[in-house]
Amino acid sequence: MKCGKYRREKMADVCDMLLIRAIVRPEKKDDVLAELSSAGFNAATMVDVVGRGKQKGIRIGGMVYDEIPKTLILMVIPDEAKEKVIKMILAVGKTGKEGTFGDGKIFVSPVDEVYTISKGTAGL
Amino acid sequence: MKEIMAVVRMKKTGATKKALVAAGVAGFTAVKVLGRGNLVTDPKAIEECKEKLLSMGMDEFSEAGDTEKMVTSFLDGSRFFPRRLFTILVHDDDVPRIIEAITKANRTEYGIGDGTIFVMPVSDAVRVRTGETGEAAIW
Repeated sequence: MKCGKYRREKMADVCDMLLIRAIVRPEKKDDVLAELSSAGFNAATMVDVVGRGKQKGIRIGGMVYDEIPKTLILMVIPDEAKEKVIKMILAVGKTGKEGTFGDGKIFVSPVDEVYTISKGTAGL
Repeated sequence: MKEIMAVVRMKKTGATKKALVAAGVAGFTAVKVLGRGNLVTDPKAIEECKEKLLSMGMDEFSEAGDTEKMVTSFLDGSRFFPRRLFTILVHDDDVPRIIEAITKANRTEYGIGDGTIFVMPVSDAVRVRTGETGEAAIW
């Protein structure tokens, strides 16, 4: 991966990082975050967002609700933790056994560099 | 082309904005978010503060267990605090300069909770007004 190579040259001592953007139900966010925290992934940022999915919102009677409130969870994790984190979010974030429309999405994108301001150095 | 995401303290929003303008960024987006960092693993640091806070926070109405739970969650890093998320689109060469500016503006003496900066690759950008794409759309 090109971006990974660019970052490796600059930050040889830090492993590859990924940004996980998970859109989950607001009522599920506490469960998801508690589960992640117990597995050692405590650091997270969350934003309240509104959105709609493939189903074009919810139609109740004549009303169409296409600004459905969700919570966006941002996490930066090492490459090798990806599978574990995604599996956890998928398991805890879904409603019912089979999952339901509106349970959300997970997006994964590469991160080149990470800096901690209080330490003033590169790395998580 | 890179996207810089910086999570900073609410109180440092003004300082960060000033620092970014001084560093010469084209523009930025700021969002109110809730954030938390790594867990505090040193129990000694927690105990010291905990005693101080418990002696201040106890009253006859709330249960002792609840107060202690709340104070602990404040100290060990499991609670979310309000933060400001800055998103900045920059040219590749400007990344180190802007990271330095953000770090300088946001560093405090507490040694924890000052936030993090993430640098991510961006494949394309378009300026809506003119339809310019790529590097020209940033600056």
